[in-house]
Amino acid sequence: MTQETETPTGEVLISCRSVWKLYGAKAEGIAAKYGQNISDEIIAKNGLISAARDVTFDVRKGEIFVIMGLSGSGKSTILRCMTGLIEPTMGQLLVSGTDLKTATRQQLIDLRRKVMGMVFQDFALLPHLTVLDNVAFPLKVQGKSKVERHAKAREMVDLVGLEGREAYLPHELSGGQQQRVGIARSLTTEPEIWFLDEPFSALDPLIRAEMQDEFLRLQNLLQKSIVFVTHDFDEAIRLADRIAIMADGRVVQIGTPEELITNPADDYVAKFTEKVPRSKVVTVQSVMGPVRQNLSGPPIKAADLVGDVAEQAMSGPDAMPVAGKDGTIIGALDRAAVTAVLLNKSASA
Amino acid sequence: MNVRSLRRSEGSSQTWPKTGLILAAILLNVALLMMGDTFAWLREYPETWVWGIAGATTTAVKYFVNDLAIRGVSVAEMTRGFANLIKVPMLALQGVLSEGFEFYGDNGEATIYRGLPWPAVMAGLTAFAWWAAGRKVALFSLFSLVYFLVFGLWQSSMLTLSSVVVAVFVSFVLGILLGILGYRNARANAILMPIYDVMQTIPTFSYLVPVLLLFGFNPVAAMIATVIYAMPPMARVTTLALQRVPPNIADFGDMAGCTKRQKMWQVMLPAARQNLLIGLNQVIMLTFAMVIIASVIGAGGLGGEVYQGLKALRIGDAVEVGIAITLMAIMLDRISKAIALSRPDHVDAAPGAVWQRHPLTFAWIAIALLLVLLGQIFPSLYAYPKAATISTGSFWNDAITWIGDTYYTQIKALRDTTITYIMRPMKSFLLDVPWTGFIAVIAAISYAIGGRGLAIMSASLLGFIAVTGYWDGAMVSLYLVLLSVIVALIIALPVGIWAGLNPRVDHVVTAIIDTLQTLPSFVYLIPVVMLFSVGEFAGLVAIVAYSLPPGVRYTKQGIQNVARSSIEAGDMAGCTRWQKLTNVQLPLAIPDIMLGVNQTIMFAFGMLVITALVGTRGLEHDTLVAISKVQPGEGIVAGLGIAFLSIITDRLISQGSRNFQRRSGMSQR
Repeated sequence: MTQETETPTGEVLISCRSVWKLYGAKAEGIAAKYGQNISDEIIAKNGLISAARDVTFDVRKGEIFVIMGLSGSGKSTILRCMTGLIEPTMGQLLVSGTDLKTATRQQLIDLRRKVMGMVFQDFALLPHLTVLDNVAFPLKVQGKSKVERHAKAREMVDLVGLEGREAYLPHELSGGQQQRVGIARSLTTEPEIWFLDEPFSALDPLIRAEMQDEFLRLQNLLQKSIVFVTHDFDEAIRLADRIAIMADGRVVQIGTPEELITNPADDYVAKFTEKVPRSKVVTVQSVMGPVRQNLSGPPIKAADLVGDVAEQAMSGPDAMPVAGKDGTIIGALDRAAVTAVLLNKSASA
Repeated sequence: MNVRSLRRSEGSSQTWPKTGLILAAILLNVALLMMGDTFAWLREYPETWVWGIAGATTTAVKYFVNDLAIRGVSVAEMTRGFANLIKVPMLALQGVLSEGFEFYGDNGEATIYRGLPWPAVMAGLTAFAWWAAGRKVALFSLFSLVYFLVFGLWQSSMLTLSSVVVAVFVSFVLGILLGILGYRNARANAILMPIYDVMQTIPTFSYLVPVLLLFGFNPVAAMIATVIYAMPPMARVTTLALQRVPPNIADFGDMAGCTKRQKMWQVMLPAARQNLLIGLNQVIMLTFAMVIIASVIGAGGLGGEVYQGLKALRIGDAVEVGIAITLMAIMLDRISKAIALSRPDHVDAAPGAVWQRHPLTFAWIAIALLLVLLGQIFPSLYAYPKAATISTGSFWNDAITWIGDTYYTQIKALRDTTITYIMRPMKSFLLDVPWTGFIAVIAAISYAIGGRGLAIMSASLLGFIAVTGYWDGAMVSLYLVLLSVIVALIIALPVGIWAGLNPRVDHVVTAIIDTLQTLPSFVYLIPVVMLFSVGEFAGLVAIVAYSLPPGVRYTKQGIQNVARSSIEAGDMAGCTRWQKLTNVQLPLAIPDIMLGVNQTIMFAFGMLVITALVGTRGLEHDTLVAISKVQPGEGIVAGLGIAFLSIITDRLISQGSRNFQRRSGMSQR
């Protein structure tokens, strides 16, 4: 797949502004007293635990926004704040134009029925329902007729490649198949925003890779706006348009995979990025030199990944022309730069 | 270093002041006993000081039931009206299963509608067992049903079965509703839990009296008493099962856009269904046990037959019915357990008409119709002919006589020795201990184990027993329970350890204790009375027998649950088998064994109540007497005494076990 290098523009669907989630008996009172001026000392002194601290970001229409962090970093807390499952202690959350803080119960229910879909880590299938009824369940609670919801559910089951298994019960399926059901179920209501909470963490590595491909295939087809939570950095760079890295409840850095790798904000981020093969993330554009004379051979696209053009670059001349989006030559790719990327040298060219 | 921290550092060996406190309390006893008559009231609670709450309660309850009227309708009339309402489903079921229906017209003429012919009922129940639990259980059920029939117990057993079904239904529905309340509302749960504790520990006979007054001496009263007894576990299980639903499933319910009600009924309860069905199995077994006990207030059925047999000392008949009860208990347990544990695979929707998809049901309907028609010609299909019944009563009577004749000296020697050298000394010791001194010792122990709160609780609960005038009865109950528990543990621990170490022994032992635990407590009385007649020795044996299984089970599980890595570490350290047992397996199994000890004591208290029927003399006797004298107050206060004794023991042991685990660094299971 190709990575978007430019900062995504477009309509903001989820806006997270200075969101805090504090746990503890005195959480509400302390938050009311100090507001956004709350400090680590105050939190510690009052025996509070902070699951999310001053989290701010936007999720835009059509992008895959990955929240990556180790366990306890607050990534699931933030996801649950965005879905209204957890009420933040402070801060503002706008989801598709609705302010979650002031939303009534009914508004929240409507939002979940129409706008949101969610996939869970351990699948969370209802054990007593067949595959078809599980997928149809979100429509059932909306009061749709059996014929209507089964027709839609069948469509979704086909979409995730489980045709023929409609009558199976969850315990008869493998983990990967169960998560396919979970995915189909989260899509039956045709939600605008798709939340995935560590959807593939419970699967073994081979199935995980397969499901990641499946996920990208579906996204190509459906073009949802996605919030994807994971603890696996490789998964994050593989799927994300943008990644937010979280640690101790804070967002450490937000950026495209390439930005994170070429320009990590701190040692914590660098620790994740140093093992990643750069050739699979770094684009030609970010390692090319200025245009010069005597460039020969067919031009290489600036947006391509270095890894994808490496073979061509290594067997060709010392420097190759690089073409921008409109086909004009905008730079030159030196063989040395490609070698550096392939050898995973950390300094960007 | 200031004074405060100095004092704290001195008290770092905190066990000393606590042990000192217990020693002081024991010395208080000695002092009181030596003091002679000076402070007699400290030794024996003076009768003139007794707080007459029991009698007052009796008066109040009787006034409430008989004289209190709202708009000219007395409470008794209202409750009995309610009883008549509940009677409908019960009589309906009973009518269908065996008795038939009688309606009286204006002219006094009876119109009789007959129920199902017995072969149809038999076929239906067997088919149901087959569907739910497979061929083996179906065959077992058929065998049981035939047993009921040929021993002339058909009507009694169908009466018992209908009571169980209706009571289970009511307990199940009420339990689920209260369980949901407890799950949703933490404050309600905090109120409900202690109420369930008391409802489950207070002896059955205690609430039989008020129920009797409110609902009359009939099967419905028995059913309501049954619901009081069997509903709390269902409510508990429901709350627990809902709390155990994986959080992601609960979140999914919200994310699917469920309303609160949709989430509860379409997501949470179905997701918890396996645990709920296991709870249902418990409710069925408790209900069955209680339906048998409730024969004392006229439940009739199989329990009634045993009760009549025991009272008239027709042991042979009682044995026959006891076997019937055992068969029905196993049948109910196996069927409901199979339903709870089943995890059916999908069925491909088979095309075809209704009867092709449900062949068993339709085959049965066809057979039943045929039998009803045939019944018009052969009346024996409705009423199994008396001439065809058999009775082994005389055989059992002969057997008892033979045992009595042959082993008379041995049995008598065993009984007399135990009574003279163990039971009587222990009983008089507990009766001689001054009540103030006893409370002081227990309070000191409670303080050492659980701090001030537990000490206050123990002291006030024991104080309640003393001031209400039931101290001596309580001591008699306590001595019998303590002695039984000691004997039970002496047997249970080695057996449990043996079974834990040896899979083959485990196989046999588990089969036996599984069956023993499905039996209603009432049944245990039959063989005991057979061998030892009535009296406290018979009571002792019954309690020991009844409280053995949990001790064995937990000890066995404790040994088996020891992590394999720990055992392998022991092996690699070069332990002999004995060293491995004493240094690795037993220490690690102690939390489980403590749980087993606790359960043994709880079971002992449970059985103690029933032994009143074979002539034990403690508080349980007072609760039974309260029934015949219709004194609800006395019954409840004496019953609370037993409940308090068991609650104190339970808290002390479980807290002590927790302390032990914390000290030895074992995480709680």
